[in-house]
Parts: sequence; structure tokens; C-alpha cells
Amino acid sequence: MRQLTYSFSLLLFWICCVGQTAVAQHIVRGKVIDATSKQPLAGVTVSELSADNRTVAATTTDIEGNYALAVTTALNRLNFSFISYNAQVVRINSRNQINMELRTSDSQIEEVVITGVGGAQPNTGLLNISARDLTTATATINASVLQDMQSSSIDEALQGRLPGVDIAANSGDPGSGMSIRIRGTSSLSGSAEPLIVVDGMPYETEVPGDFNFGAADEDAYAQLLNVAPADIETISVLKDAAATAMWGSRGSNGVLLITTKRGTMSKPRVGYSFRGALSTVPSAIPLLSGDQYSSLIPEMYMNRTGLPLNTLTNKEFQYDPGDVYYYNNYSQNTDWIAAINQTGLSNDHTFSIQGGGEKARYYSSVAYLGQRGVTVGSGLNRISARLNLDYDISERIKFRTDIAYTHTVTDRNYVNSKDDQDNIRGAAYIKMPNMSLYEYDPYGNLMPVYFSPDRNIQGAYPGTYNPAAMAEYAYNKHMGERITPTFNLRYELIKGVLFSDFSVMFDMNNTRVNNFLPQLATGRPYTETVVNRAGESDRDDFRIQTKSNLIYTPNLGDKMKHDLQMLFSWQTDDFRGLSYESMISNTASILLTDPSNPGRTQNAELSLKGGEGQSRSIGAVFSTQYKFLDRYIVNVGIRGDGNSRFGANYRYGYFPSISTRWRVSGERFMENLPFIDELSFRASYGHSGKAPRYDYLFYSNIVSYDQTYLDEAGTVPANMAYKNLKFERVKGANVGLNLEMWKRRFRLDMEFYRNRTTDMLFDNLGVPNTSGFESIWLNYGVMDNQGWELNLNATPYRTKDLMVDFAFNIARNLNVVREVPEFFVNEAGTGTNNGDYKRYLRINNPIGSFYGYRYEGVYSTLDETIAKDVNGQAIYGPDGEPVYMRFNYPYTDYVFQPGDAKYADINHDGSIDERDIVYLGNSNPKFTGGFGPSITIKNSLRINLFFNFRLGYEAINDALMNTTKMTNYDNQSTAVLRRWRKEGDVTDMPRALMGMGYNWLGSDRYVQDASFLRFRSATVSYTFNRGSVIDRLGMSNLRMYVTGENFYTWTRYLGQDPEVNMEKGIFGVARDKSRTPPTMRFTFGLSTSF
Amino acid sequence: MMNILSKKLAIPALAFALLSLGSCSKWLDLKPQEGVVAEDYWQTKEQVRAAVNGLYISLITSSLTQELFMHGEIRTDMVDISTFAPQPYTEYRFADMLSTNSFSNWGTFYRIINYCNNVIDNAPGVKELDPTFTQADLDAYVGEALAIRAWMYLNLARIWGDVPIKLTYTASDEDLVAIAKSPQSNVLDAVVADLIRAEPMVRETFGSTAADKGKITRYTVNALLADTYLWQDEFQKAADACDEIIDAEIFELVSGDASTWLSELFGQGNSIEGIFELQYDRQQLNPFYALFRQNAIYTAGQNVYEVLFQFDAADPENFDVRGDRGALSTATNMIYKYHGLNRTQTKSLEESYTHWMVYRYADVLLMKAEALNGLNRGQEALDLIYTIRERGNAMQGTDLNPGADDQQGITTFIVEERAREFAYEGKRWFDVLRNARRNNYERIDLITGMIVSYAPADRQQSMLGKYRDVNSHYLPIYYIEMQRSGGVLEQNPFYGN
Repeated sequence: MRQLTYSFSLLLFWICCVGQTAVAQHIVRGKVIDATSKQPLAGVTVSELSADNRTVAATTTDIEGNYALAVTTALNRLNFSFISYNAQVVRINSRNQINMELRTSDSQIEEVVITGVGGAQPNTGLLNISARDLTTATATINASVLQDMQSSSIDEALQGRLPGVDIAANSGDPGSGMSIRIRGTSSLSGSAEPLIVVDGMPYETEVPGDFNFGAADEDAYAQLLNVAPADIETISVLKDAAATAMWGSRGSNGVLLITTKRGTMSKPRVGYSFRGALSTVPSAIPLLSGDQYSSLIPEMYMNRTGLPLNTLTNKEFQYDPGDVYYYNNYSQNTDWIAAINQTGLSNDHTFSIQGGGEKARYYSSVAYLGQRGVTVGSGLNRISARLNLDYDISERIKFRTDIAYTHTVTDRNYVNSKDDQDNIRGAAYIKMPNMSLYEYDPYGNLMPVYFSPDRNIQGAYPGTYNPAAMAEYAYNKHMGERITPTFNLRYELIKGVLFSDFSVMFDMNNTRVNNFLPQLATGRPYTETVVNRAGESDRDDFRIQTKSNLIYTPNLGDKMKHDLQMLFSWQTDDFRGLSYESMISNTASILLTDPSNPGRTQNAELSLKGGEGQSRSIGAVFSTQYKFLDRYIVNVGIRGDGNSRFGANYRYGYFPSISTRWRVSGERFMENLPFIDELSFRASYGHSGKAPRYDYLFYSNIVSYDQTYLDEAGTVPANMAYKNLKFERVKGANVGLNLEMWKRRFRLDMEFYRNRTTDMLFDNLGVPNTSGFESIWLNYGVMDNQGWELNLNATPYRTKDLMVDFAFNIARNLNVVREVPEFFVNEAGTGTNNGDYKRYLRINNPIGSFYGYRYEGVYSTLDETIAKDVNGQAIYGPDGEPVYMRFNYPYTDYVFQPGDAKYADINHDGSIDERDIVYLGNSNPKFTGGFGPSITIKNSLRINLFFNFRLGYEAINDALMNTTKMTNYDNQSTAVLRRWRKEGDVTDMPRALMGMGYNWLGSDRYVQDASFLRFRSATVSYTFNRGSVIDRLGMSNLRMYVTGENFYTWTRYLGQDPEVNMEKGIFGVARDKSRTPPTMRFTFGLSTSF
Repeated sequence: MMNILSKKLAIPALAFALLSLGSCSKWLDLKPQEGVVAEDYWQTKEQVRAAVNGLYISLITSSLTQELFMHGEIRTDMVDISTFAPQPYTEYRFADMLSTNSFSNWGTFYRIINYCNNVIDNAPGVKELDPTFTQADLDAYVGEALAIRAWMYLNLARIWGDVPIKLTYTASDEDLVAIAKSPQSNVLDAVVADLIRAEPMVRETFGSTAADKGKITRYTVNALLADTYLWQDEFQKAADACDEIIDAEIFELVSGDASTWLSELFGQGNSIEGIFELQYDRQQLNPFYALFRQNAIYTAGQNVYEVLFQFDAADPENFDVRGDRGALSTATNMIYKYHGLNRTQTKSLEESYTHWMVYRYADVLLMKAEALNGLNRGQEALDLIYTIRERGNAMQGTDLNPGADDQQGITTFIVEERAREFAYEGKRWFDVLRNARRNNYERIDLITGMIVSYAPADRQQSMLGKYRDVNSHYLPIYYIEMQRSGGVLEQNPFYGN
């Protein structure tokens, strides 16, 4: 089938290109001169045009302006074209001599300025429908708006600008991706990222499920969406299911359509833009100094055991100047955070050239991005290039070739096996501060090496290591090459009625990850495998996508009355990925960082692995749009999908959709309200689907163990066969309103939606362990994702010299579970484990609520630990002895001691247990959104401010918990200096207690209202208008700007960053682990063209 | 010209698109290129062999031995836990076990059971497809799977008491069921049934020492049977099962020479004494180096050296070889057995692949002693105990010297001797429990006495109170498992709810 599609496309190409060999009939000669100077023009293109403007033959004039052209038929026309001159077309009419005078074009071709009001046409790659006729919920940002957003990636540009589109950075490190959510998540499994469509073809941004990045978290994997922002013409977001249904099983998370810039008819225009940014990490939570830490730990130990910490065996706390080595190395006050911080720098250059004539147009760009992250050892280098070519063979045959290439090198910090993260900052936060950064020798001399002991009281690698040594000497380099050539041929089968459009896109994406863990960072002895460990993984992906469209637009007479478009589209996708991974350890030197060097390959973690996966899908789309009287529009579509990831029973899925639009403003009765330019109501309903991320799940896969037993290999079933796996289906309904008033100076869009996910795909559904498996994949359950969005754009003031624009968007989104599978555990978390919050699944209630204890401070004295009855009277036992407060009587039965955290005994039974758990908050923001004015003065100075907000939600401040829990050897924040230390101390900070007690149970102590308003960015830009200084510099345009980001946040939240996202899943709540506020960044940029 | 061409083309284009729908199914039918799917597996005897070998690999790659150590030792006087131990360890050790404690999860055992069920269900079909696959080979493979399954159920029965029994393979999502608990006695019956079935099937030898020690042989099955019979108080059967091993005359105790005892039995492994040892190797290290040595979670119990093993203050050359630098290192209070190479040298992390001893000949002798004592053949039992004591050079002070008719005295003696002989081999708690529970908990003093010896003063009474409730001797069912069972499982009454 694939071969058929390809050969068919090729055949068509061939016929179009070759099919017209004919015998030349006669020769036309002549001379071309300039009309005013009468000088001969050399290099003028003289071409013979057929009736449908196809070039049949062509030549150019010589230095004397002479030409000779053998023409096929005298019925054709001759076209004379030359850059900066107006083209001339004349009939041949059997003449043999045609002389021509060309006139210079009076004015240069004006730059195309897209106004961004209503008229933009999102390129869906399917039916071409202008924005005003769209029946679905779609939001578009176009070039003029994008120009103001100076961002290194598309995701950053979109952040906060579109209602219902939520974008958050995975981390502040260069090259770490962003997560894009369109209308929240409607799925519990796999990726919730939207489908990205670039110039009409889906562009894969999801990491294949089976790739192991040398134990890297895939979320933070380098930006896959690496279209340079300067190349983007428009971005549209398809939000409702009727729109996404056209993309079938891939569109359930929403669709992001990106159109890149194309050449326009003009002389060559060279553009250059620059962007330089400086970012710093604001100071984080203050941590204990070495001396403060050294008094905390022995106290914590003694509170646990009643015995002093033995400093003879734990010399880290001995502080004996006689023991020179330990004294010097463990009596410091090291600021580990400062040791790994650096100022982030970024510079971004884009060169572009565009132009073209009638027949051929081009846009080409080359961009370089260099970034240095705020953590030592992180950075990014990216070179991307793009060539978009359009060639019109004739009015009826056109082809396009787009080639995009990206080369990316991302430097990340080493991913350790403790938490599968490159969490050097996390390690620096908990590192003991009395330890020295550099090592002292036993004579007390400071050595020029980092101090990386093989172990100390905090443990050994990977539990602990010297973060500075790790940041500097270990590395983790990701190198990516991606090239995506797209070939497209459009052919008008019946003029004005039947079009065909064929595209084939090749996507070659190669990634190589190289990492190295030096002995200097782990400190472990040379016999172990965490020393000089070199790893490499490589992945080669190859994807071919084809799309064949037939578009039928019958002429039904009066265009204003009936307008019908029909589309049939046939799409295929064939993906194959190959990967291998190798890891060795104990290379001879830290300079030998590649696994090709001799090394050890001994236990299971050091291995050579390979993998191969393939998946295919097909889709057939039928879609039709009918417009009657420009007022009543209806769109009906159906898509059939087949996917190789399902077993034969459930391989195909059908996704219908219907949507309508009623343009009220076109009705007669609205004529009395002339200030309304556009008022439309829309309603839509559609299905879209989702396939699992992994291949071959419907088989029980038998895999080989990495290990052997008695030198013999063995196999094991990796999973049970998921025979009932099928498409997860999102049934979305949307009603919307578009209003434009006062000459489009006021625009309002409103949407209400409900996306009901049925056959919900659980990728990790727990099943009874007695089955031999812990979790399975299963389709079951119903979840609703519902909410509303409002988007407002206004131009309240507009004169020639001053224009004030104002944009505002606000949205609310909720997930409500309606049905769950039978094995589904309807609660999560326990009330008896420290740090855990209880969450219950309540069918038909929004998810995101959490429950816990009420924190009432600290028991100051023994008397206070006596249990109180309802009236607040101390309870005495029958023997007259006081009854002390206990934890979880009779199971755990821990007796609270003075200095312990005091929780509210809600039921006054003298025992703190799950019956004392109360509702603490909900992580669903009531509203999210953004707003900001932009002021343009004299068309050249522009001030753009942007604020974003989230209101009405509670977050759990994990950072506060982790920096004040005082339960292990981790460093803590200076807040613990006010801890309870002796009977009678009155404080809100419990005593230090090593690995025991219940001082940090999930309670309202860590729950805070995280509503905030953030001054997200401010941009001041100046555009030099024509006629000013730039003319003398030969520029046609120059724009300079300065942007500052993350200035200030108004919030009552005490954590570092109130912008906390909910974790995934039914039990997800907002937990804030961030110990550093978002980086503050200043950017300078300029863009110009010649 | 183009017009005509285009019209001619439009029809085939549509036709192609429609026709190709038919061939889609084939195009979409993809199978993994690496690995095999179950439908294509179970064709040859080599595949059966690989699947059986996979069972052994699952024993050493899972957390099984770590869990067996924990369940066998953490509730006893043999160990202490350090301040590096996270809270769940503390709660388990000091009888604060709750159903929310993740150590009450039995997933590891059932996962291995399911792998065994896979072999037991699917291997017999291979014989029809592969004519070179002999019945004897098939029997041997199925027998190994049966024995491993029986061993897992024996563990479940003595750790959780009443547990669900699942004897069929979960092949697909259509086989998922929640299963109710069976009483402990039924579980033990099922274990015996599997073992009796396996006994004539499994091999007596695999032709190499390592395989004979590392895989299930007939003697392993006999040892498992003896063990299970002791839990059922079937003393005669237990003694007979032991005799099967003793009479084969291929096992004997290694020498008690202090310079070689540890290195032969553990440092090197696969000694003449070993019956079933899980064969860790350079590729798969055992988990104990980290547990006992690097920021050790477990250390030797306070009284192990001075009370249990004892020492000769007059003659430093006279010592129990199993004590200092045998099972533990008194200098550092470290558990020594799994990373000691011999009395003087220890292993490095990279060499830390000392085998996990499931059964060894000394165990068979002491199991037989326990069976004989149950049969009131006290003198024979004592003879066996003294054989073990002499080999280990047990200290005079530890000889309880019970009379041949003092059944209770001999029981106490056996339990203590087993503590010395099998220190840190994951047996202590089970030995105490097995002997305590006989005759309606006639010897609950074995448990309470042990608790008193290690419980911290402030917890002693509450711990004793809990241990007096015999339900507390078995773990709760993990709360998540309870919830996933959809109400089919019943919690151990001691843990409420």
C-alpha cells in the first residue's frame, strides 16, 4: 500500500514534468532595452507561457540585450521579466521578431503586513477556510504579534497569550522542553502534548516510548519543537474536538498549527535579527551554615537515641583541630548553591533571505542559538536552517519544497541513578555545609581538587556527591540532527473545481547522548563501576508521512449564496526507530570519555542494548463545509484511523464531527446595529482519539534478561497481552461566540466546552499483585474535562500618533472523573506516613483536592501533651495518671513528646489518626489568564506589558517541608534555627528527630493559597521608520528592543514560585518542590532587513 | 493535453485510495523485531529451557533475597537497625507494622509465582511441536517450576499466614481476577502437593557442581518438603524427607576449620554442604553489601556475640567459628557473612556476590532433629544437634544439655542452635515462629522471650502486648492490595479495618 501511494505520487510528478515534450516550431528573436535610458538590458528572462501560464521554454538576454527563443506554438505568449522592472506579457501571434522596452517598477514592493484582524487563514493542511468562516474553536497568533515576543522557542512565545493554552517550562535549564497543554488534560496516560502540524504535515515532538536516554527524564529532553521562532508566520491552536477530529487519533490533546514564512514576489530582502539575554537565579531559600548544621545533626541524633552522636566514628562532626584532615575538610561554611551557580547567557542570530518572481519564490534562513544555563555545566548550541521554495510550473501545477534542518548540542548535568534526574541543584540544597568544597590534605594544605570523599555520614554516591565536581567534570551531552524535507505538489484537476494536493514528508531524526561520570565527582574507589563511567546512546528515527488531498469546490452559481467545499484526504505514516545504548566503566582516565575505550562491562547496569520499533498508521478523512448566504455554515467530517499499535480487534477507529456557525451579524435585523461588525454563534461536536505510546502492547512480549544465571540466558514475559486495548476517545462539545465591534477595534471570543474522555487509557492501572503484575494498560472509565475561556482584544484609543491596545484572557478548566475501573484504588496517600497527603476520588467532583491534619504548632511542655476532651479539659485515666496524646492508637501508638508537632485532635479521642484528617485545599485554579496593554507611539515606539495570573487555588509547599523536616542528614533552611530545643520553648518549629516521629505529616502547615499576579514581561521597542537614519545605512527597516521578564509577583504564597502545576493523574495535586524562584531575565534584541 | 491527462489521472487516484483500504490490515500488522511475542514462543525445547532459566534469574534480580532477609531477621534479636534505616524499617522492627507499610507488599512473591505458572501451563504444549523434546526433559523443567512456586507459597504462608492461591498463568487482560484468601493450612497443603508432584520429575543432577547447587534438584525438593512438613507438624514425613537427602550420601558438612569454614561455605560457595544456593555472580551482585556495609541499615544484634555465641575468656584460640568473623564482625558490629571472604579478608563491592543460602546440609540435619524431637526420639535429635555443634566448635556455655526425654528443652536447644548455625540466613524468625506455634502456641515464650531481649525499655510492654496476639505474627495485607481486590480480600484482624 505504501509503495502504491509513493509510486502514485512519483508517477504524477513525472508526468507533470516530462509529459510535455513537443517539437519546437519557430524561433523568435528580439532585443530588450530600458524604456527610459534606452540601454540594453542583460539577463532579462524571456519565457514562453502556455494558455495556463505554464512556462514552456525560456532564455535570457545577452549583454547586448538580445535573445532568441524557440517557441512551441505561436498561440502562446512571451513573458519578459527582470528584477526591479515590471514584467511584460505579449502574444507571439506568429511574429519572429519581438523587441521590448521594460519600465522600472515605480515603487518597491511593500512588505506584506498582516494586520491580524479576523482575516488570517490558518493553514490546516486540509480544507482552506478563512478564519471568519471557521465553525470551530480556534485561536491564531500571527506574525505581527509574534514579532513582539522575543523568545527562543515557540512555546515561550505562546506562554500566557492564548486562553486555554497553558505552557510551563520543565526546568530553567537550556534545552529542557516546555509542556504545552491545550484545555488541560483529557487523558491520564502518556503524553498530553498537542499534535504539532508544521505547514500542513504533522511534526512529531513526542519521544518514542522505548527510548532510554541513559536514564534521563524524557520530559526534560531537548526541545523537539525546534522551528526557529523567526521563521514563523502564524500559529493557530485548534481547541475543540470537531477541529481536532480531522487529525483523528493524534489530535485528542489539541492541535497546534504552525505556518512558516514563505517567499513573496520582491527583490531579495535580507533580514537579520539578534537577541541576547542575561539571566540570573535569584537568591533561594537561605540554608544553614556549616556551624549551624553541625549543631543540628548531633541534636537530631540525640533526640532519637538518647545518646550523643559518636564523633569518634563520625568524624564529620568531631571538629578536633588535632585531626588535621577531618578538621579542615569538615569545619567549613560552604555555600553549595553558589558553587554551582553562574550567570546565564544566550545569544541568538537569525539571517534570512526572501524574495522571488512570479514563477519561483524562496524563503531561506539560517539561525544560531547559543545558551549558557544558570547551572554550571548546562548549555545549548543550535544551528537551524530552512529553505522554503515555491515554484509555479503553471497556474495549475505548483510545487513546493520545504527543507528544514536542525543541529542541536545540549549540555546537561549528569543524570544520576538516584532519582533519574540531573538534579545537581537538588543535591546542592541538601549537601552538608560544613564539608569543604576543595580538599585539604592531611597537613592542612588546600589542594586544587574538589573534595569528593568516597562516603561520609550522608552516604555515598548516588545518594550524595560533590555537586560542584559533578557540575564541572561530569557531562551529559545530547546531540541531535533533524532534517525534514517536505515535497508538495498541487495540481488543479478541473480548473476552479477539483484540486489535488500531494505531500510527502521525510523526517530523519538522529539523537546521540554521550555521558560520563568521573571518579572526581563520585569519589568512589576505582574498583567500583560508578567510576569513570562512560555511556552512549544513539537513536535513529525515520518517518515517512504522506498526505493526498482531493478538494472539490463545485460552482453552485452565486458564490454569495452557496459555497461548498469537500475534501477527501488520505494520510499514511510509517515510523521506524532504532536505538542502541552502551555503557562501560573504569576507563583508564577521565579523559577517556567514550565507551569505545577499553573499560569494564560487568554488572547489569553496564551493558550493551539495542532496540527497534516500528509503527504505522493510516487515516482517511472526509470533510465538507457548506455556507449558505454567508450566514449559515455547517461542517461535517469523518475520519477513519488504523493504527498498528492495536490488536486486530480494535485496530480501526472512526471519529466523526459536526460543527456549525451562525453569523447573526449578517441577518437583516442586525442592520440597525451598524457598530457590530461580526457576531457569530458556533456549536460543535466531535470525536478524537488517542493511541498508546508503545508498540506491540497487544502481544505478551517475551524478553531476555540482561543477566544470566549460571552463564545461561533466560527469558521472561514482560507484560501480559492487552487484548482489549483500544483507542481512547474524546467526545468534545463546544459552544462559542465571536463578537467584533466598532470597526474591529473590539473583539471578544468566548468558548464553553466539555470534553468527555471515554475508554480512558490507563497505562499504569494497579491490579492485584496476585496476578503476577503490578499494573496494566486498560481502557476503562470516563472523565470530563470542562471549562470556559474568554479572550478580549481591544483598541480603546487610536490616532495617527498613538495607539493603545489591550489584550485580556481568562479561563477556567476542571477535570471531573465520572467512572473508574473496578480495581481502581479510590484513595491515595496515607495519613500515617510523613509528608503524605490523603486524596480521595469522588466521582462527579473535580479532582485536585487534598486532605490532611491541622497543624497547631509545637508541644511546648509535657503538660501540653496531655490529651484534652471536648471541653478542653485534660483527660485522666482511671488510675489518675494523665492520658498523653498518641499517634494512631492502637496501631502505631507513638506517644507525643514535648517538642513534637501538635496536630488538631478533631474528634477529641486523644489519638491523632486518620479520623482527624480534614479537607485542606484544592489545586484547581478558579481562574487563569493574562492581560496587558501595548502602546504604540508614532508607529515606532512600542511599549508592551504583560501580566499573568492564577487565582483561587492551594499548593503544597514541598520545598518548605523538605527544608524544615529535620529527619535525616540533609541540610535545612535557616527557619529550623527557631526549632524547639528544650522544655518550655514556645515556637512553631518542632524538634529535630532523626528518622522517627511524626513531625512532618501532611498538614496545613505546608498548604498555602497560591493565587498570584505576575508582572511577566515588559518590552520596549523602537522601530526606525523609513526616511530616518536607516536609509543612509541602506536598511529598509530596523527595530530594537529590550525585554525584561519575571519582574515581580504579587502573592501571599510563601514558597519560591506560586506557579505550581498539578501533577498528572486522578490524584494529582499541586506540589511545589521548587527552591528557587523563576530566573529573572533581560533580553536585548534587534532585527533589520536590507 | 494536461486537461486530458488530469482527468485520466483523477479516476485512478481515487481508485487507488479506495483499493488500498483493503490492504491496510496487512500493512498495519507489525510484530516486534527484537524479542518474541508469546504466540511465537513455546516452539522449541530451547525456549522452555530459557524460560526456566528466567525463573532463576527472577530470583536473583528481584528484591526477593532482600525481602527474605528482612522478614526472617528484622523481628528478631539477631539484628539491630541503624539510624540510616528509614521509618518503615523502624515500624516493622518495633511492632508498629501497619497495612500502609510498603514492606507488607507481597508483589515480589506473586510475580515469581506467575512466571512459574507460565512454565507449568505452557511448557507441556512444546512437546507436541518439538519432537526432540523428551518427556524426561519436560518433566524436569516443569518440576523445577513447581518447586520454585512451592517455595514462594511456603514463604507467603509463613509471612502472611492466609494468602490467595493462584495456580494459573495470567496471560492477558482477560485473565484478571481478584482472589480471596485461603487459610494457611490450605496453602501449606498446596505447597506439599506441588512438591510431591515435582519430586519424581526433577533431576538428581545437572552434571555440574554449580548447577547442582544453583538449581532445583530432587534434594532441594526434599529439603522444601521437610521444611513444609515441619510447619504442618508432620514429623514422620519431615524425617523421611530428610532421610532422602541424608541417604543419598552426596552431601556432607564442610570442615569446621576456622580458616576455611566461611570461605568454603560462603566466600566461595557451592561447597559439598550446599543443597540450594542462589548463584549471584559478577553480573548480578547480591544486595547485601549496601545493606550491611555502606551506611548499613542492619547491624548485628547487641547480644548475638556475648550471649548467643559466647566466648572463652581464657583461651582466645577457642571460639565458635560461626561467631566473630563468621556471621558477624564484633569489631564493627557488622553482619559479616555476605561480604567476608574468610576470617581475615572481606570482599569489595565488585566481588560481593556471595550466594544466598536457601538450604544446606546442616539445615537438613537440624530439621531432622526437630522432626525426631517431635516424634519423641530425643536422643537421636540430640545426636544431630551435637554433630552440628562440634563442627562449629560451639562454646560450652551454650550447651543447654537437655535430657533425651525433655522435649521442650530440646526444642529450645534446637531453636538456639539454629540461630547460631544459620545466623543472618533469613531463618531466625521462622524458626522461632514455627516452634512457638506448635500445639496451640505452647511455646509462645520463645517469641516473648526474644522480644524482651531486644525491645527498648520504653516499647517493651507495648511490643509484648502485640506479640501476644498471635495474629500479629503475620503481616497485614498491603493497603493498596486490599483496595485493588475490590473487597474480596479480608485484612488480618490484628490490623483492623
